Amino acid sequence: MGNPAPPYDVVGKSVPQLAAREKAAGLTRFVTDLSLPRMLHGRVLRSPHPHARILHIDTRKAKALPGVKAVATWEDTPKIKFGPRSEDWTIFASDKARFHGDEVAAVAAVDPDTAEEALDLIRVDYEVCPHVVSPLAAIAPGAPLVHEESPGNVAAEFNISAGNIDQGFDRAFAVYEDSYYTSQVYQAYMEPMSVIAETDLSGRLTLYTGTQIPNMMRMTYAKALGIPPEDIRIVVPEYGGAFGGKMENNIHLVAAVLAKKAGLPVKLTYTRHEDFLAGNPRVPMHIDIRLGATREGILTAKDVRVVGGAGARLVYSQVIVSTACYRVDSLYRFKNVRARGITAYTNTVPTACYRGFGNSQSTFVLESAMDELALRLNMDPAELRIKNGMGAGETSVHGWKIGSSGLKECVEKATDAIGWKEKRKVKQPLKGIGLACCNHVSGNRPFAREFDGGSAMVRVGKDGRVMVFHGESDMGQGQNTTFAQIAAETLGVPLSRVHVAQVDTDVSPFGLGSFATRGTLMGGNGVMAAAKKALAQLAETAGNILCVPPERITCRRDMFYDVDAPDKQLSFGVVASQATIARHGAPVVGTGFYKPPTELPDPETKQGNISPAYPFGCQIAEVDIDPDTGQVTVTRMAAAHDVGRAINPMSVEGQIQGGIAQGLGWTLMEDMHYGQGRLLNADFVDYIVPSAFDMPKIDAILVEPEEPNGPYGAKGIGEPALNPTMAAITNAIHNATGVRITTLPVNPAQLLARMKAAGSPGPELARNQNDRQDTH
Amino acid sequence: MTLPPLHIIVNGEDHHLMVPANRILLDLIREDLALTGTKEGCGLGKCGACTVLLDGRPVHACLLLAHQADGCRVDTIEGLADPAGTTLHPIQEAFVEKGAIQCGFCTPGMINTAKALLDENPTPTEDDIKLAIAGNLCRCTGYHKIVDAVSACACGSGKGECHG
Repeated sequence: MGNPAPPYDVVGKSVPQLAAREKAAGLTRFVTDLSLPRMLHGRVLRSPHPHARILHIDTRKAKALPGVKAVATWEDTPKIKFGPRSEDWTIFASDKARFHGDEVAAVAAVDPDTAEEALDLIRVDYEVCPHVVSPLAAIAPGAPLVHEESPGNVAAEFNISAGNIDQGFDRAFAVYEDSYYTSQVYQAYMEPMSVIAETDLSGRLTLYTGTQIPNMMRMTYAKALGIPPEDIRIVVPEYGGAFGGKMENNIHLVAAVLAKKAGLPVKLTYTRHEDFLAGNPRVPMHIDIRLGATREGILTAKDVRVVGGAGARLVYSQVIVSTACYRVDSLYRFKNVRARGITAYTNTVPTACYRGFGNSQSTFVLESAMDELALRLNMDPAELRIKNGMGAGETSVHGWKIGSSGLKECVEKATDAIGWKEKRKVKQPLKGIGLACCNHVSGNRPFAREFDGGSAMVRVGKDGRVMVFHGESDMGQGQNTTFAQIAAETLGVPLSRVHVAQVDTDVSPFGLGSFATRGTLMGGNGVMAAAKKALAQLAETAGNILCVPPERITCRRDMFYDVDAPDKQLSFGVVASQATIARHGAPVVGTGFYKPPTELPDPETKQGNISPAYPFGCQIAEVDIDPDTGQVTVTRMAAAHDVGRAINPMSVEGQIQGGIAQGLGWTLMEDMHYGQGRLLNADFVDYIVPSAFDMPKIDAILVEPEEPNGPYGAKGIGEPALNPTMAAITNAIHNATGVRITTLPVNPAQLLARMKAAGSPGPELARNQNDRQDTH
Repeated sequence: MTLPPLHIIVNGEDHHLMVPANRILLDLIREDLALTGTKEGCGLGKCGACTVLLDGRPVHACLLLAHQADGCRVDTIEGLADPAGTTLHPIQEAFVEKGAIQCGFCTPGMINTAKALLDENPTPTEDDIKLAIAGNLCRCTGYHKIVDAVSACACGSGKGECHG
């Protein structure tokens, strides 16, 4: 697979996660497993209404309940408006509750049962207001206003264009146009959100919580609490998954307010039901697309309109909608594109990041449209992709510089692995095969505007133990192990020497965190830079001992040696010990950073290279359709992903398989369903996610074109693993039935009805076959 | 209502405890006995993170009252490795080696379910495995490597780790 690997000792090897044995033994302490002496238990009172004025809150009885140590409402907060990218948040609802689940009050008590009992004693008088759930209804004239100060419920707008869209469509031979909708879906990380908050005598707050963005979160919360960032410490223990969902959330601030009021540590863990009600699920989007190509299949123009539902406040939905407007434009060699995006306030839970960050929504739409174009051009969909796909050395319509691209190889390898050509030729009733491609970023310059790099500290103790400190976040994907592999390779030591410190904002570098598929490249480059610095210091000590200039010293397989006289050797442990002794106990510490060659896009033209590297991928799905129910079964998938270099191939395969599982769930089963403005399926009984039985056999194929900007040639995989799954499956459904799926998730009954209406031969043929079997 | 002391054998150790009638088995395990390896993922018996073995059979600890386990043997993930905790059980080893663990929150429940399956059927097919773990949700791995890990523990899998 890929290019032959250079002779690396640790990089490129499949290894279990550093923490895997502890996790297997049940010894890992997740956030929900932690407790502190005299710790209280918090519970939140939530609005039962999607939209209601809060007339009065009476907490007297709750406060009087024995065991209750603090009751808090908006009145107990600093009353500052804040938000990660906006100023539409408050800690607790103030004048209005804006979604079913909005925080109205909270209690901290000596045990969870007492806290729960106290919630029942809080009396809230509401005046129910008309509500709006659908993003399109929200921006229609006369819709109820979620925030009075945002007319038309328009929370944000984004416009982008490049080239000349009209000329592009004039040149088109085939034009496809349709409207799509993608559902609001829930990340369903297995560990619900949880935090322990405590305040010391000086008022300094510590949060122990699973977060993808410890440092950025700290900035947001400093504003919310009206205290300087240095008065907040965030510690990130092991935590059970996130997939974009664990960023800023009121859970942390509610716990902080309670802890301050009670003067004791407060643990707040969402029940699964609450996590559905008050987490931050995927932004639902309406996307209209018009796509044109020449007779030869060269794309000429793309025009898109996106309306995304923000829910009741902005978390990151406005950035997600803008991403949906244009990220996918760098998948193909577009020349003329235009997109208009509206982020609409709605009376639902605030929506935010979920693996793919808007690009998954628009990849579903674009890759469906590509299939329709291939049909109109009578062209193999795989060929259409290869013909237009971005290659290494090219610059996209928005100025993105593609340093490496394995897109063509991904299409070729995936099609070969699954037998695409043969299977497309021989059409079987109710069986189909479909293909979709994707692109993504490895870091997103406009997201964190001050800088976008990565950094680390590598500490080598007197005992030779190597400790990597970083400020990113391993949410369970295996990032710490990847960093350790990079550090071990750079230092020339076995992986067993290297350990990764828990992220703690008091100690760790200011990392931006884990999002935008940036960890491996940005964080990994930071680790590599820091390890080089530490190595240089150790080489100086080794050189002094061996009487050789340090530049002639290197380390490999745990031994320092003179490159000109390799017999002159010293073990890593001896050098580490001697280096510390020579410094009178000071450890060897290398601090390094990576500054990516990226640009903030021009505010007007949006031109600018936003990421140092761009991963690509191609997935192919095979499906069976049940002729009686319309139920879709994915029977097999091939997934080829361009990851630059897989630092840990087993881990990359796991990312691909896991991404597909989430994409499959979105395509076939997942939808947060509202009735009367209330979330109706807020638990795993009614909100179904894929089980082992829903998963097809997956060929995970690694394509490894060396990425010039990547650590050891690597780029990211987290989000691309999911981006193409939806369209691969729905293109397969189209191949099986002739029905174009424009709404996620697929509704089997509607699919069946549309198959019948379209006179799809599938059901009848299959039924006849079944009838024949029945009569024999 | 005063209930008699509860007698429960957890990971081979006898416990006689005064437990309120409404105590959930999961809370007894996690809070009273501080065995936090057993996880709470949903509280409704739908995710399997709290799976423990009750007299050898996999159950959702979040759906049982502690007193329903009176007189029973309860095995949690902490009891699976050798008592010193240095040698993992072959199923745990397989989960580690096959990359079946990402965030690891589902892992204890998943391993307990796998243990019960392999105890009952040492030579499960891939479908047997998928059926057995269908009630244990994992959101990270897509289940592939979990199925691989359980398969690797089956008798005749060539690994010589016929654990049943």
